[in-house]
Amino acid sequence: MANLQVEICGVKFNNPVIAASGTYGFGREFDEIYDISQIGGVSTKGLTLEARLGNPVPRIAESSSVILNAVGLQNPGVEHFIKHDLPWLKEKGVVVIANVAGRTLEDYEGICKRLNGLVDMVELNISCPNVRAGGMALGIRPENIEEVTVITKKQLTKTPLIVKLSPNVESIITNAKAAERGGADCISLINTLTGMVIDIEKRKPVIANNTGGVSGAGIKPIAVRMVYEASHAVNIPVIGMGGIMTGEDAIEFMMAGASAVQVGTANFYDVNAMPKIIDGMNKWLDKHQIKSVNEIVKTATLNG
Amino acid sequence: MKELIATVKQNKLIAENIYAMTLTLPESVGEIRGGQFLNLSVGDKVHLLKRPLGICKVEGDDITVCYQLKGEGTNILSQKVQGDKLAVLLPLGNGFILPESVKNVAVIGGGVGVFPLISVIREHLGKVNFHSYIGFRNKQSVCLMEELEKSNTLTVTTDDGSVGVKGNAVSAYFADENKVKADLIIACGPPIMLKVLKQKLIEAGDNTPCLVSLEERMGCGIGACLVCVCKTTSGSNTRVCKDGPVFKIGEVEL
Repeated sequence: MANLQVEICGVKFNNPVIAASGTYGFGREFDEIYDISQIGGVSTKGLTLEARLGNPVPRIAESSSVILNAVGLQNPGVEHFIKHDLPWLKEKGVVVIANVAGRTLEDYEGICKRLNGLVDMVELNISCPNVRAGGMALGIRPENIEEVTVITKKQLTKTPLIVKLSPNVESIITNAKAAERGGADCISLINTLTGMVIDIEKRKPVIANNTGGVSGAGIKPIAVRMVYEASHAVNIPVIGMGGIMTGEDAIEFMMAGASAVQVGTANFYDVNAMPKIIDGMNKWLDKHQIKSVNEIVKTATLNG
Repeated sequence: MKELIATVKQNKLIAENIYAMTLTLPESVGEIRGGQFLNLSVGDKVHLLKRPLGICKVEGDDITVCYQLKGEGTNILSQKVQGDKLAVLLPLGNGFILPESVKNVAVIGGGVGVFPLISVIREHLGKVNFHSYIGFRNKQSVCLMEELEKSNTLTVTTDDGSVGVKGNAVSAYFADENKVKADLIIACGPPIMLKVLKQKLIEAGDNTPCLVSLEERMGCGIGACLVCVCKTTSGSNTRVCKDGPVFKIGEVEL
C-alpha cells in the first residue's frame, strides 16, 4: 500500500481523490452505498446565498463517452448547508470543500464571508452566467477572474481559496495566472465544456436549457492538456479533473501537474467509482514501487 | 441499494419494440417493493448513464424489466443474450406503498407505464383486489396479458380499438359504470395520461387517494445530482429518483 496522503494549502487529505461538485450532493446518498470517509474530500453541490430551484427538465443528455448537464445550481442555500449538511460532513472526517456561486460579485463576497473558517476550503464556481459580466460568466476574461478572486480572498482570512477554471476560454494559461495574481491559493480545472445535443426527431436540443456542460471520459485529453499548461504556468497547487474514470486516469492527471483530482461523471457510471479509483491508484503505485503518490506529481515531461 | 454485476438470463421481444429482460443477481438486495426501479448499464464505456427501468417481476434473485426501443442505449440492450453481464444498481426509489387498510385498488396504466404496475399486482396478489384499466397503442403493442389477467377485473383498451375497448386507460376508468369503489388508485403512464387523470379526478370530484409514478431523464439515480426533478404543487422541486418515482397525485405538477 503506497502512501496516498496529500497536503494542499495546509489541508491534509487521506488521499487525492475528491468528489467533484454537482455529482455527489453533500455525500449523504453515496454514504448509503459506501462509507464516504474513504475518499479524500467532497466538493459540495454549488452553493448560493439563497436557495435556488435551477433549470427546467430535462437537465441531462448523453453522447458518446460524455454526458451533458444543465441543472442550473439548484441548491438549498448556504444557511441550510451550514445547519444541516456541514456538521454531518465534518463528522465523516472528509475534507469539506464548499463550492460557491453567485450572480454578482457581492454574492460571492457574501457567501465567502459566511463560510470563512467553517469549511476546509472554498472553491469558486465562476462559470455561471453573471450579472456583473453582462450575463457572461465571470470565469471567461482574466480581468474578471482576478477581480472576483481579490474580493473573495479578502473575506477568506481563515480558509484557503480554490478558483475553478472554465475551459471555454481563449487561454487557460492567462486565466490561471489571473487567479494566482488575484490571490488564489489553488486552482482547479477543468469545469465542463459547453455543448449541445439535438434530438433529430424533434429538431430540438434534448436539454431544456438548450446547452449543457459536457463531462465524462471523452473530455479527458482536453482536461489533461489544460492541467499540464496551467500547472506549468503558476506556482500554486492545481486540482485536476475532467473524465477521470480509473486509477490510471487519476495518475495521468497528477503526472500532468495536479496535486489532487476530482471525480464527477464516473460516479454516475459506477456508484463505487471513487473507492475503485483510489484502489486503482494504490495498485499502480505498488506495481511501480512508488512509495508516495506525491512522487508522481508533475513528472510528465514533453517529447524532445 | 447495491451496485452488482447481473447475468442476463433471458432477453426477448414481447411486443412491437418492447423487450423483457430477466437478470440474475449474484446476491440478494433485500426486499423489492412494487414500483421501485433499477438503473441498468448498457454494458460499454461509451454510454456513461445507466437506464432507469421499472421493475416488472421479482422471482427470487431473478429480476425482470421491460423496455421500449427508444434509441442507441435500448438498441444495444436489446442485443444482449443469455450469459451477458451488466452492471445494475437497485432497488431505487420509493415504489407504491399501499396502506394496510386498502382493499380495492384501481390500476391505471398506459404503454410502458404498465410494467412497474405489474410488480405491485404481483406483490399484493390475494391480499388486495386489483381492478385494472390498461391502455396500449394497438394490437402489436399488447403484452404481458398473463400478468395483467391476475387482476380481479381487467379492462384493456387500444387507441385504435384493435384489442379491447377503443380509447385509453383513463377514459375506460371513468366510463366504467360497474366499477368497484376503489380505496386507492395507482397509475403510471405517459405524462399526458397522468395529467388527464388528474384533471378528470378533479372534474369528477373524485377524491379517491391516487398515487402516480413519474418518469424523468436521470443522472445518478440515487438523489445526489438533482437532474431528475419535478415541480411540487407547493412550488419546490422534488427528486423523482429518490423522493419518488411515486408521488401523491396532488403533490406534484403534471
